[in-house]
Amino acid sequence: MTAPFLSVRDLTVDFSTEDGVVHAVNGLSFDIEKGTTLGIVGESGSGKSVTNLAILGLHDPDFTSISGEIVLDGQELIGASRRELERLRGNKVAMIFQDPLTSLSPFHTVGRQIGETYRKHTGASRAKARQRAIEMLGRVGIPQPQSRVDDHPHQFSGGMRQRVMIAMALVCDPDLLIADEPTTALDVTVQAQILDLLRDLQEQTGTAIIMITHDLGVVTSAAHEVLVMYAGRAVERGTVREVLGSPRHPYTWGLLSSLPRLSAPVDVPLVPVRGTPPSLINVPPGCPFHPRCDYAALAGPGLCGQERPELSPHRGHGDACYLTPAQKRDIFLEKVKEHL
Amino acid sequence: MYRFLVRRILGAAMILLIISALTFFLFFAIPRDPAAFACGKLCTPETLEIVRRNLGIDEPVFLQYWHWLVGIFTGRDFTYGHCDAPCLGYSFVNQEPIFQALVDRFPTTLSLTFGAAVVFLLFGIGMGMIAAARQGRPADKIASSASLIGASMQIYFVGVLATWVLVDQLQIIERPSYTPLTENPLQWFYGLLLPWLVLSIIFTANYTRMTRSSMVEQLGEDYVRTARAKGMSARTVFLRFAWRGAMGPVITIFGVDLGVLLGGAIITEQTFSLHGIGELSIKAVINQDLPMLLGVILVAATAIVLFNIVVDAAYAFIDPRVRLS
Amino acid sequence: MRYPRKRAVTAVATLVAGALALSACAQGGGGGPKTTNAAPTRTQDAQAASKVKVGTAEDSKGPAAAEPGATKGGTVNMIDRDDFTHLDPARIWLNYYMTASKLFTRQLTEYKLAQDGSLTLVGDLATDAGTTEDGGKTWKFTLKDNIKWQDGSPITTADIKHSFERIYADFTPEGPPYAEEWLLPEGKKYKGPYDGEHLDTVEAVDDKTIVFHLNSPHPDFNFTVAMTGYGAVPKKHDTKEKYDKMPFSSGPYKIVSHVTDKSMDLERNEHWDPATDAIRNAYPDKWHMEFGVQALQSTDRFIADNGADKQTLTFHNPVATERIQQVVGDPELMKRTVQGLTPFTTFYNINNSRVKDVKVRQALISAFPMQQVRQLQGGELGIGKFASTIISPTVLGHEPFDLYGQQTKPQGDPEKAKKLLAEAGQPNPTIVYAYNQTPTQEKVTVAIKTGLEKAGFKVVTKPLNPATYYDAIGKLDNPYDVYWSGWATDWPTGSTAITLTYDGRKIAAQQPNYSHFNDPDVNAAIDKASAIVDPAEAGKAWAALDKMIMEKAPIIPEFYQSYFGLYGSGLGGVKFHPVTGEQYPNDVYVKQ
Repeated sequence: MTAPFLSVRDLTVDFSTEDGVVHAVNGLSFDIEKGTTLGIVGESGSGKSVTNLAILGLHDPDFTSISGEIVLDGQELIGASRRELERLRGNKVAMIFQDPLTSLSPFHTVGRQIGETYRKHTGASRAKARQRAIEMLGRVGIPQPQSRVDDHPHQFSGGMRQRVMIAMALVCDPDLLIADEPTTALDVTVQAQILDLLRDLQEQTGTAIIMITHDLGVVTSAAHEVLVMYAGRAVERGTVREVLGSPRHPYTWGLLSSLPRLSAPVDVPLVPVRGTPPSLINVPPGCPFHPRCDYAALAGPGLCGQERPELSPHRGHGDACYLTPAQKRDIFLEKVKEHL
Repeated sequence: MYRFLVRRILGAAMILLIISALTFFLFFAIPRDPAAFACGKLCTPETLEIVRRNLGIDEPVFLQYWHWLVGIFTGRDFTYGHCDAPCLGYSFVNQEPIFQALVDRFPTTLSLTFGAAVVFLLFGIGMGMIAAARQGRPADKIASSASLIGASMQIYFVGVLATWVLVDQLQIIERPSYTPLTENPLQWFYGLLLPWLVLSIIFTANYTRMTRSSMVEQLGEDYVRTARAKGMSARTVFLRFAWRGAMGPVITIFGVDLGVLLGGAIITEQTFSLHGIGELSIKAVINQDLPMLLGVILVAATAIVLFNIVVDAAYAFIDPRVRLS
Repeated sequence: MRYPRKRAVTAVATLVAGALALSACAQGGGGGPKTTNAAPTRTQDAQAASKVKVGTAEDSKGPAAAEPGATKGGTVNMIDRDDFTHLDPARIWLNYYMTASKLFTRQLTEYKLAQDGSLTLVGDLATDAGTTEDGGKTWKFTLKDNIKWQDGSPITTADIKHSFERIYADFTPEGPPYAEEWLLPEGKKYKGPYDGEHLDTVEAVDDKTIVFHLNSPHPDFNFTVAMTGYGAVPKKHDTKEKYDKMPFSSGPYKIVSHVTDKSMDLERNEHWDPATDAIRNAYPDKWHMEFGVQALQSTDRFIADNGADKQTLTFHNPVATERIQQVVGDPELMKRTVQGLTPFTTFYNINNSRVKDVKVRQALISAFPMQQVRQLQGGELGIGKFASTIISPTVLGHEPFDLYGQQTKPQGDPEKAKKLLAEAGQPNPTIVYAYNQTPTQEKVTVAIKTGLEKAGFKVVTKPLNPATYYDAIGKLDNPYDVYWSGWATDWPTGSTAITLTYDGRKIAAQQPNYSHFNDPDVNAAIDKASAIVDPAEAGKAWAALDKMIMEKAPIIPEFYQSYFGLYGSGLGGVKFHPVTGEQYPNDVYVKQ
């Protein structure tokens, strides 16, 4: 059996702040293969983005401590030199951000922003980089790329801007594309177009994609596998069909219940996850979700509040919860499914 | 761009017109007769009348203002002599046309301003960049405290002290004086070196703080993160991306400062005995020399208005989102 | 001379520029500077200063008495705060412009300054100090031989007549008013010589003799014409308004360049003959003057004494208040100081139309805390000596007296004041004190209020806007009891110190009799003293009048203001001039 393309093991990210140490990611592990898309879902503050910035080494080393391993195509990224990381970024690993308006430099033309990534990693000439930028703009579906290449980001619509962002991310044919909430800032029809575009491009290039989102709908349509994160930990993992079809973790149930459904009767209220996300400075002991969990008592007196449940089984559809498989199945079928 | 300029220049002319009118009428609102001032201690009503006529203040204020305005385009005749267009009036204290006095003084102020601007931009932006790059580390703390000390300095204190130490005692810098650049560039440089440095101290502090905070803000922007995420080196990110964004606020205050300085650095000029617009303006106030006062106020206002336009244009150049329309 | 107002206004403006903020701090620690034993090279004590006399024809002959150790040649530099706004003699009534004019403008008479600081009025262009046969109504002057303009043409009586006629022109309102009033025939209007009309009262008898017919007797008219305001202007080279920028020299130097507010350069006038000049030594070949140098800057430059600053002096800039301690404490620096009493005296007017009881006025003088007032303003070197008379020690005939203990108890004598108030039957009179609202005067006012209240006065203080101060106190019906002002004599005789200020018949709005003092006996005595021709006799009469007036206590004498200045070590012959009250250029030389 070969090693996975990207393997993250026991990743822990702590930030030191004036208020104390923020445990942003705590013992996170996952794998991803080429040509597949992993959706990472969770509320804001669950550690999704932190994880991915850690892969690119974008945290300020002065205030961050990172441990665990991140192995990309056989290369260990934690502790890699700045130069190695710079060579990697935008080249082998690229990233798309949530808000294309603020994430693109307002001062430079899109052609230049795309081209400079290409030149940086290939050493191509200015003219060649420009050619490449036009080609990429065409590939992401921007009409008349020759005439738009010298425009500035503010001259594009929101969806077109995200296409520019994607063109910039893909200009060096990366093996891994990290898309951090790529569609959140866009309206619904444009969302679908962007997701289609990413899928098409993945089919052409075989890029692995990590899709960070809080929107389970996006996961359904775009990802192969899903990782549900809560308070810096993975609470459930599996294929899209497994996690969304027969979710096992009470937090996943909560997430699914909070989704609005077009098919649902109008009078059925949305059920949000009660309570507020935990402080990452003082993470609750045991299962971090237990203060918000309706079923913690069923797992046995005090158990959830004492010891942290591990993700199990290690492969396939796993979850981190002390409820027995039977309890999980029954609760899902009896109390949760009707809300979906 | 062309329409922008035309519109802004017309607006500027309007502002200058309003300022000149305000100055004119406010001057006559103060309860003091400039003629009595020029007349002396045994001033008879007859003498006062003569002085008023000599000063051209025996007519109604509105008429005086009208003559003044027309004079700008046509020139004027005074009992003391002819004043060519553009005639901004005639100073009876200096006994010369105001325009001539301003033209004589302006090169000094211009040299003082631009020399100092080079120094404080260089040091201010440089130190601010270093502080931003070394956030929270010793270099940052040194730069920040230095700028705090600088900001609390007063020119008449630093200036006198620096002259005493550097010129009088150690004799390593020449006594400040103004030599035209065209006459002797080296002398021009040496003569203005100390005023530049002293004037810069206060401004440098401002620019250090402004550059630092603005750089820190820019470094936290999404597009800077994007640049890093696509593999740009820390240096490129700092100099090509963040710097460009950070310069907006710096240029804005630079425009204002430049305008103010070109209106005359009164205290600096007094401290170093330089004969610029600032000295002219303080003397105009002391002597209640209305035409001169109007002249220096107009120079200051013109400089400020002009640099406002320049700043807006520069802004548009830096940030393509700002449309000049 | 124009001196007081200009100073007051400029002081306010300097404050705006922030320069005085420092001096206020430096003085804040309290106490005026203490004088050390080190004496300046040229001190002008009160005794020497009062030696003013009228010289003879012999005294008027050139060349001037040589300065011991002086050598010819070199350049003297002059640095000062302001440029000379006026150089046309007819427009000069400010001491600073007069000092500069001594280098290139000559009058009929001028003062000879002796080594001991005493003054002798002698003929300058004239062969003697003038003669009068009829008690001062008709004055005759004879011009010297070989006196020439800078183009070599002779200075004639036609030029002198022209000089006196042009003071009536519309473009010369700034000059002194005396001759203009005295030479105008009764009921006549005169606008100067430019439209062909001339004054018969100025009579050029021949090329050498000129006679003045005054409309009333003025036995000290020969002092009057020593003012720069009556300096000679050439008829042929009178450029009217433009003359102010470039006057034609009759003195040892001529102006070669003058850049407004920046610099002025003088070179020798070869047509000046030292043999015709009893006053001017003219040792240096050139004068270079620079303007825009504040007092603190010039003081620091003189202290540092580097390079060309060694050969530099200042006409007017005093030692900056914040450096007085340092200068006084350094014997080496004291050797390069110039000090003396100026003709400027200051006093607090008591409004005699409101405070009518002489005992109350006398109590005010006795109670006044002059010492505290002086400490707040820089002490003796910073501001001056305590005054107890009207006439300054610089004036001919000055007699010192101290009727109210102002010299012996300058801190104030509340006991004596209480006694006087009891005698007046008003133990607690209310006094309205109006003052110029400046930071220093705020502090001074507190000291005055405290001092007067010790004697039982109730003091109400009224701050006045500095810009309108004189207008406010100049109103005849002003609602104040006590207010400050100053007076500078235009020439050192008692008449200029007393006639304009204490002659009750001259009380009018905005005129210098701010105390509204009107006493028939004094008025009669003024008329009598004005008629005395002999200068020494007149001096005695004015001194007696001084005492007579002070017995009626119309004012509270404050200070005889002093001047205290520095100059560079490379210069010799730098003296204080008691008439201008600043440094004197005519005996200065560059040390070889």
